[in-house]
Amino acid sequence: MATTASFIIVSRNDIPIYEAEVGSATKREDAAQLHQFVLHAALDIVQDLAWTTSAMFLKNIDRFNDLVVSVYVTAGHTRLMLLHDSRNDDGIKSFFQEVHELYIKVLLNPLYLPGARIASSHFDTKVRALARKYL
Amino acid sequence: MDPAGTPLGKMLLEEITPVVMVLRTPSVEEACVKNGLSFVEMLSPFCNFSNIDVPLRTSSDQPYRLHKFKLRLFYESDVRQPNIEVAKERLKQVITKAGEKENLELISDPPQVSNLLDSSKSELLPSWFEYLNKELIRTASFSEHETFDHPVGCLLVVSSKDEQPINRFIDLFNTNKLPSLLNDGAMDPKILKHYLLVHDNHDGSSEKASKILSEMKSTFGTNECHLLCINSSQDAKMEHQDDPWASYKYDGSPVQRLGCCLDVDDISALKDLMHEFSSKHVIPYMEQKVRILNQQVSATRRGFRNQIKNLWWRKGKDDPNEMPSGSMYTFSSIESQIRVLGDHAFMLHDYELALANYRLISTDYKLDKAWKRYAGVQEIMALAYFLLDQSRKEAEYCMENAFNTYLKLGSSGQQNATRCGLWWIEMLKTRDQYKEAASVYFRICSEELLHSAVMLEQASYCYLFSKPPMLYKYGFHLVLSGDRYRKTDQIKHAIRTYRSALSVYRETTWSYIRDHVHFHIGQWYALLGFHDVAVRHMLQVLACSHQSKATQELFLRDFLQIFQGAGKTFEVPGLQLPVIDISSLKVVFEDQRTYASSPAASVRESLWRSLEEDLIPSLPGARTNWLDVQTKLMPKRLRESNVCVAGEAIKVVVEFKNPLQVPIPISNVSLICELSRSEEEISVDTNASTSELANDEDHQRFGVMVVSSDSGSVILSEFDFSLGGGEKKLVELTVTPKLEGTLKLVGVRWKFSGCVGFYTFESILLVKKIARGKRKAKAKQSPLNDLKFVVIKPVPKLEGHIRSFPEKAYAGHIQPLILELKNQSNCSIKNLKMKISHPRFLSIGNKEVQHVDFRACLEKQSDNKQGGTHANLKKASQGVFLFPEDVAIKGDKPLLWPLWLRAAVPENFLLYIIIYYEMEDASSVMKYRTLRLHYNLQVLPSLDVSFKISPCPSRLQEFLVRMDVVNKASSQSFQVSQLSTVGDNWGISRLQPIDGIIPSQSLTVGQAFSFFFMLKSRRLSSVDAATHVPDLSPDVDNDVILCPESVKEPLVNATHSPLANFHDSERLQHGIHNQKDDNTVDFVLISRPLKSDTNSEEDSDQPQLFSHHACYCRTASTSPISWTMIGPRTKYHNFSSSFCEISLKMTIHNSSDAIASISISTADSAGQSDALPSQGGWKPVVKEIKAASPKAAGIIAGNSPESLWSLKPVASPVSSFIWSGSSSSNFQLAPRSSTDIPMQICVFSPGTYDLSSYVLNWNLRQDDGGCDQLEAKESNPEEMRKLSGTCSGYPYFLTVLQSV
Repeated sequence: MATTASFIIVSRNDIPIYEAEVGSATKREDAAQLHQFVLHAALDIVQDLAWTTSAMFLKNIDRFNDLVVSVYVTAGHTRLMLLHDSRNDDGIKSFFQEVHELYIKVLLNPLYLPGARIASSHFDTKVRALARKYL
Repeated sequence: MDPAGTPLGKMLLEEITPVVMVLRTPSVEEACVKNGLSFVEMLSPFCNFSNIDVPLRTSSDQPYRLHKFKLRLFYESDVRQPNIEVAKERLKQVITKAGEKENLELISDPPQVSNLLDSSKSELLPSWFEYLNKELIRTASFSEHETFDHPVGCLLVVSSKDEQPINRFIDLFNTNKLPSLLNDGAMDPKILKHYLLVHDNHDGSSEKASKILSEMKSTFGTNECHLLCINSSQDAKMEHQDDPWASYKYDGSPVQRLGCCLDVDDISALKDLMHEFSSKHVIPYMEQKVRILNQQVSATRRGFRNQIKNLWWRKGKDDPNEMPSGSMYTFSSIESQIRVLGDHAFMLHDYELALANYRLISTDYKLDKAWKRYAGVQEIMALAYFLLDQSRKEAEYCMENAFNTYLKLGSSGQQNATRCGLWWIEMLKTRDQYKEAASVYFRICSEELLHSAVMLEQASYCYLFSKPPMLYKYGFHLVLSGDRYRKTDQIKHAIRTYRSALSVYRETTWSYIRDHVHFHIGQWYALLGFHDVAVRHMLQVLACSHQSKATQELFLRDFLQIFQGAGKTFEVPGLQLPVIDISSLKVVFEDQRTYASSPAASVRESLWRSLEEDLIPSLPGARTNWLDVQTKLMPKRLRESNVCVAGEAIKVVVEFKNPLQVPIPISNVSLICELSRSEEEISVDTNASTSELANDEDHQRFGVMVVSSDSGSVILSEFDFSLGGGEKKLVELTVTPKLEGTLKLVGVRWKFSGCVGFYTFESILLVKKIARGKRKAKAKQSPLNDLKFVVIKPVPKLEGHIRSFPEKAYAGHIQPLILELKNQSNCSIKNLKMKISHPRFLSIGNKEVQHVDFRACLEKQSDNKQGGTHANLKKASQGVFLFPEDVAIKGDKPLLWPLWLRAAVPENFLLYIIIYYEMEDASSVMKYRTLRLHYNLQVLPSLDVSFKISPCPSRLQEFLVRMDVVNKASSQSFQVSQLSTVGDNWGISRLQPIDGIIPSQSLTVGQAFSFFFMLKSRRLSSVDAATHVPDLSPDVDNDVILCPESVKEPLVNATHSPLANFHDSERLQHGIHNQKDDNTVDFVLISRPLKSDTNSEEDSDQPQLFSHHACYCRTASTSPISWTMIGPRTKYHNFSSSFCEISLKMTIHNSSDAIASISISTADSAGQSDALPSQGGWKPVVKEIKAASPKAAGIIAGNSPESLWSLKPVASPVSSFIWSGSSSSNFQLAPRSSTDIPMQICVFSPGTYDLSSYVLNWNLRQDDGGCDQLEAKESNPEEMRKLSGTCSGYPYFLTVLQSV
């Protein structure tokens, strides 16, 4: 399990629709905003990179000090972003793929409006379980 | 693209130029200070030549011309590596000074992103960056390992005032004064020397100077000596149109004009001097040196390739031993010479030659592991590549190499790394690689905060300028930079960066980012004293529900601090504490519809409408009437507005929610309203209202005058409350208009610790259409109109409530209630009507009853004459109750009217009452109003009563009634006290003694019990009264007391007012057929809660009474025909003489409404007793034959109820008898009549006989509409069609004994 890992799902309008701190490190007061800042800034890079490759998983696209950003871009241009300090690329890739499946299930819910915040507690527990498994 | 024309090219042409060391005597300085300049400063402007046009020939044979050229002049004391600490201090000053200039811009709003992208780079980039970068580059100058900063020549200056000038010249070039570079062997001490004599014209004529000059010429050589005359202007008032020194004196004091003593001649002399010095001395000297060095290098390194390779190989091997430090290259070493050669060539713009030499030594240095020199060479190589505009990749590779190598060196390479980075950045910028440039900026950042702050800020601009612009990165780096500025107390810079970042983050949904930016910028503004701006920013972070509690407290505390610091109250439009849920907005106003309570107002309008239908004479007509009146009075646009009455409050319910986990106090919550009067009224009434005019111009323009809310024309309620963490609270605000006009609800305002927040409904309503179904307004209106009211003249308003309406009751509970109606105004009202939604639950009592005891009106009076009670109640159709005409409600005296409440069914039940009234005053705008009351009653289950009636086999028109009572209440015990039948047709009597019915005298929770009664039809009795007088026992009455004698309760009159009314409602509830039916019977069971275990709060004085109604209990079971056999039970006969003939009589009764044709057929062969007809589970068993009294038989049976249930074999001897009468008889029976048929049997031997071997066939004649009634009567469709049937006989046991 990574010591720091901040997972966020960003809708195509650059609005965060799901946020979770999945790292094992004790939470620092300013960590949340720093993580948001880094991930938010990394969106620019994603924007550049996403159209240059056909791969969905873009690993280590941006970094800030020892924090690395990996991104998984879905077909609908929703971005699953992970800020991490570990180098476990395979794990991160699997994590993204499984979360993507979960996300698709959320999308299939007729009551869920694409682009709205994901409030499902079920989704949250599943994501956290996946994070424990892969990161 | 010309590399020299790029910013980096220009910078290089300025920075990498030959250095001339200036050695001067103090008197020279004295002469120059008169102009406000030092000597070097005075000369500097003239060292820059844009087109010097000197022909040059370096390595190649092809000569070329040098155009741009610059000399850098330094005093000998400055020719050394600058002190890092001093440099830092200077940089800090530059930054601070730049920050102070920002003052004015700080308060303005940050630019929009789109504007940001449109504006040019120079507008955005702070101008001091360039200067600062130059200063940074200069901190790394005069290093040992690079020779382009090493002085090429030396200018020795002596004033004509000095004594013994020749000696001074020699003294000046004294080794111990020279910079260390020349002394420690890093550079060749033999450099170009030039001798200059400065003559100040203020000190007299230049003759002396000329003399000295000639002396100098003889000593130092003719070419090397010069005379410079300055300060020719005597009055020191020379002005220079284009001040040449302006750009060289960064922080020049404006007091003294620069160069004021220099006239035109002096300046041209300066120009000539420097031109000559450059073109005649410096350049040729350098050219010479390049050629010599080139020859040397070619001789030692280039000429013989193999030899060089050999040399390299050897060198790589040997050097570590020779030079252990690895950096001790003296000027005479070949490496240094190559470097000098390269640098000189570079400065003479022969980049190819320079590059060749740099390449040569770069490998040397690398082999020697002289990393600093290696990096330096790589750096200058990259620049050479750049200026040649060749191989970009090479240039970048070299730059990166150099940069990394410098970084590897640690702190000693820091300055160089910075310089290298800056050059690299410039190079990247030139090629529009802004993104890469930004990352280099990021890499330059050192631990030193201020330095990295500036670098990060520059990085952010790079992201902004990159294509496409990377705004998120821009924002992020600005924030990083601002954070560092803050840490070094550069608050203004910090604010500037955050403010710029705001243009990116303004509308962001990334909550933590938004909070961080706004919170910090708010804090900093507060530090600088811009409290209002600070408050504006702090407001943005207040509603931070996602933050932890500690953070929320911090935000709140800081906000309040800043607020107090501001020292005044603000009107804040966007105060998000608390949050107002606009979807909860509910406006309750009363036009002709008035409400007794707020729950009544929240009931659906359609429900009230449906109830009102019968009450309001003709609803559409009535409305047209008053609308017509309105049309005349009001402008058309108001016709469809809501109407409210002056002096009556409009309630607005709004939900406030605290998004935080911290409790917040809210005070002075009130509505914002505008009450305006229409123009025509004002023209009449100007004087009265001028004092109340508000100066709102918008409204003036529309011809509507605004009376502001605090002028007394409107009364607003104010609330103070506190919201706990995450709490929601519904607040009911009221506004009471005092004057007629148009009232508009604008918004709501509240105070949160000195800060007034307000919230306008309109803005929100316009943006999102809120669910209008929740409000009372008509659907066709636009939402805006819903908040606009036409205020009309006061009209009477009825207020009413039911006193102490219970919240819960057990089913069946009957309670008296009082309806209280009040009319506060002095105008009277008339024509009161009332309608109740559930008459089953609530019935209207008599006016007189309220004065009579509750018990009294229920109890059965000895003279039970209830005629005329109904007469008082004027019941109109559809349950509308008209109050008597004489009822007038006015002033303080309320009208009290009794009501009876009976909790009919266990359920949660909603009661609606509408009271309609009309205005006495015909001129009022409203003709009528309605008062709507709404109550909620929870009815708990109590006793569950069911009846089962089965005909008594032995008696005609007598029935056994089984009453099953189950106590379904949760905690209450009940006492069953009385059972009554309703109507005159039936009488009821006990079958059991009163004490033995219920052992415990009460039914506890869950207990079930069965009672048995005998039911008798009175009508039949009366018909047959003549014949069967003794059958009518005196106790056959309407009522049966069930409680033991000890608890003496009075009989309750089930036929009197409240009970009868409720019973009627029950009947209505149960069946559609209203007619009396002889075959059904209604029961009313009266019970009381057991006193002993009533722990309820109801006072025990009040008798509590429960009534349970059962309607349409059917008596007749299957057939409309009933009969009974009458005859002797025991007969003594002497069989020896003859057989016995016994006469019997069969009484047949037709209970149907049709004529029945009946045939009786007897069968002699005794079909045995197994064929007993099943009578609802009753199997009559006669154990023994007793005295032939039918009544006695009934009592015997009643004594042991168990026996009724059991089925015992009848031990009857099988002995034959013969029906001796007609074997079959047919006859007609009129409806509801009885007839007697004589029967006869012959018995031949003594024994007991069962005379059930006959069959009764009946057929109903369905003429005269009898069929319809039958159908209506029968609930079971199968039975409905049953117009004929066959009944087998009842067992009738006859014992014939042998007489003695």
